[in-house]
Amino acid sequence: MKMVLVGNPNVGKSSVLNVLTGSRLFASNYPGTSTEIAAARLELDGTEIRFYDTPGVYSIYSNNEGSNLTRELLEKEAIDIIINIVDASNLERNLVLSYELLDLGYPLLVVLNQVDRAREIGMDIDVFKLSSLLNSPVIAFSASTGEGVDEFQAFLRDTASMKGKNAGSNPAESLNVRRIRLDESCDCSGNCGRCSIVVEECTTNLDLQRAERARATAQTVTIPTAQAASGYLQNIRYLVDRPVAGTLVLLILAYLALVALSKFISMCEGPIANLLEPVSEILHGFILSIMPPGFVATVLAKAIPEGLIIPFTIIMPAMLMVSLLMALLEDTGLLPRYSVALERLGNFFGVSGQAVIPLSLGFGCRTPAVMATRVLPNDTQRFIVITLLSIVIPCAATVGVLVMISAKFNASLAVIVSTMLIVMLLLGLILSRLSPQEDAFIYELPPLRVPQAKNVWNKIKLRFSGFFTEVLPLLLIMSIAIRALIESNLLEVFQGMESITRLLFGIPAEAFVAVLITIFQRYLAPLVLLNLSLTSREATIALSMIALSLPCLPVMVVTVRELGFKSLFKILGMGFITSFAVGMSLNMILPV
Amino acid sequence: MNTTDLKRGQKAIVRNIGSGRGVERKMFEMGIRPGIEIELLEIHPFKGPLLFQVGQSRVVLGRNLAASVEVEPIQET
Repeated sequence: MKMVLVGNPNVGKSSVLNVLTGSRLFASNYPGTSTEIAAARLELDGTEIRFYDTPGVYSIYSNNEGSNLTRELLEKEAIDIIINIVDASNLERNLVLSYELLDLGYPLLVVLNQVDRAREIGMDIDVFKLSSLLNSPVIAFSASTGEGVDEFQAFLRDTASMKGKNAGSNPAESLNVRRIRLDESCDCSGNCGRCSIVVEECTTNLDLQRAERARATAQTVTIPTAQAASGYLQNIRYLVDRPVAGTLVLLILAYLALVALSKFISMCEGPIANLLEPVSEILHGFILSIMPPGFVATVLAKAIPEGLIIPFTIIMPAMLMVSLLMALLEDTGLLPRYSVALERLGNFFGVSGQAVIPLSLGFGCRTPAVMATRVLPNDTQRFIVITLLSIVIPCAATVGVLVMISAKFNASLAVIVSTMLIVMLLLGLILSRLSPQEDAFIYELPPLRVPQAKNVWNKIKLRFSGFFTEVLPLLLIMSIAIRALIESNLLEVFQGMESITRLLFGIPAEAFVAVLITIFQRYLAPLVLLNLSLTSREATIALSMIALSLPCLPVMVVTVRELGFKSLFKILGMGFITSFAVGMSLNMILPV
Repeated sequence: MNTTDLKRGQKAIVRNIGSGRGVERKMFEMGIRPGIEIELLEIHPFKGPLLFQVGQSRVVLGRNLAASVEVEPIQET
């Protein structure tokens, strides 16, 4: 059996699916968390049910990636039932989509999610009346309290056994609406006053009729209860939504988050290093004792303990703290508020305020951040944001490594950070010329919520799992490779470049090799530096060049998938130019 | 008049949406369509965006978009 979950953005589709199937999809409190179709399966009384979770859409007729994906899925897959997740606290707008789905002719199950929140803000919903008006089953549900879960499962069981009885007859197949044609539903409302535009970009009379039906239905079934206590969340929301005071609060919170991050990293470093010390010694001895003496044994015995130090002392705490901070930012609903507060700033860069979300996600890990650029209105803006992400924004792992290496060589963090800011401004200014200043900022602000410990914990686990599957193995391998390079004296081959790198960037040739290594993974590059003896000036220049260079491999792969090879090459080209320009400029500016 | 002429806290009925390609559709999806009541909640400085209450949701519109929404203010009684 195949079921697909369809609903408006930020109504909790992923949460509903997580509660039902125990899957662990990313759920956050801002529109646009899911940007792809995810599948989960549930085994119920011997019947396998396949669920598809779709990106949130306001309408299946919209002209955006989410709607296109959802339409495609409905056309291609033989869907038995559409599960329409509806935000009970925002019924009228959600029902517009329900009526679209009903008009398509699919069997519909309406899940009234967040009924607990609806009651909190003082409204109850007459489920029976709604069910008869929509002529479809309706379940009052709450992914956070577990209300309605039993009912939902009973429904699935019934449906599965019914499906078993008349096996072979697929309700979807009998439908005549197999292709969701946009042009056939055209019945221009004439509101826009021009008629040469693509149908999916205007509203038709059918749309307006559905909206009217949704309004009438919502009014009929909503029962206002005693006005709920305004609550402290309402007061906080009032404050953070104020233009000036709210922006200040948001900036202070961002500052506190950064302080917490650096405090946490420096707090962890010492104790973890102490714990690792005996482990390193044991490993060192162990490798030497089991391997025949020689080049390989020397390299491994040194490289493996070395390769464990940076990941565990720096990157692990950084990733943990960033995961926690990001989870809090997402689940409270504060993240989209940054995009409103910083909309003016975004315009300066030629992107809408919504770019704040992918850009700030980039401080965690840039790969998912590139995916999150799908919330942006067009490909030009996506290109700008992905470029900024690739070249300027440091991910959690990079931050950790930068801080550590600069401490070791006494490099100036202030110079590095201000160089990054200046590059970001310049790059933004240049890139903004690409984008026609079409200010189409339109965004729905989610309500503020208290984050749920379980959801936050799941996110930390999800984000952090990358540490063991990706960061740790890669760093170990690189550590071995670099150690081999050093022990074999191969690095000296690059000595021939010494005069050039000294002249242009004021750094030794080996440090320049480190800059080139960023092409594999940005946070690996500094490992080469660790084994060199650099002055603080050299380290400052080399680190700045590393901090402002190329996207790492995973980001490149995602970029190709999202924007194609051509865009990636442009970004790589800009990365090289930026990195070299930074090196040369700093070499000229910084006193020797 | 359009929504940028409203005062903070003022309510109005949407009369017409004068924007071109795609914008009308997006507004419609957010619940902004002719005949609907909206309330201007906040005005961000430096020609920043405007925050509206539309039904149960809070919608932010950039200044240019907001200017394309023609409204008729509701007289306070």
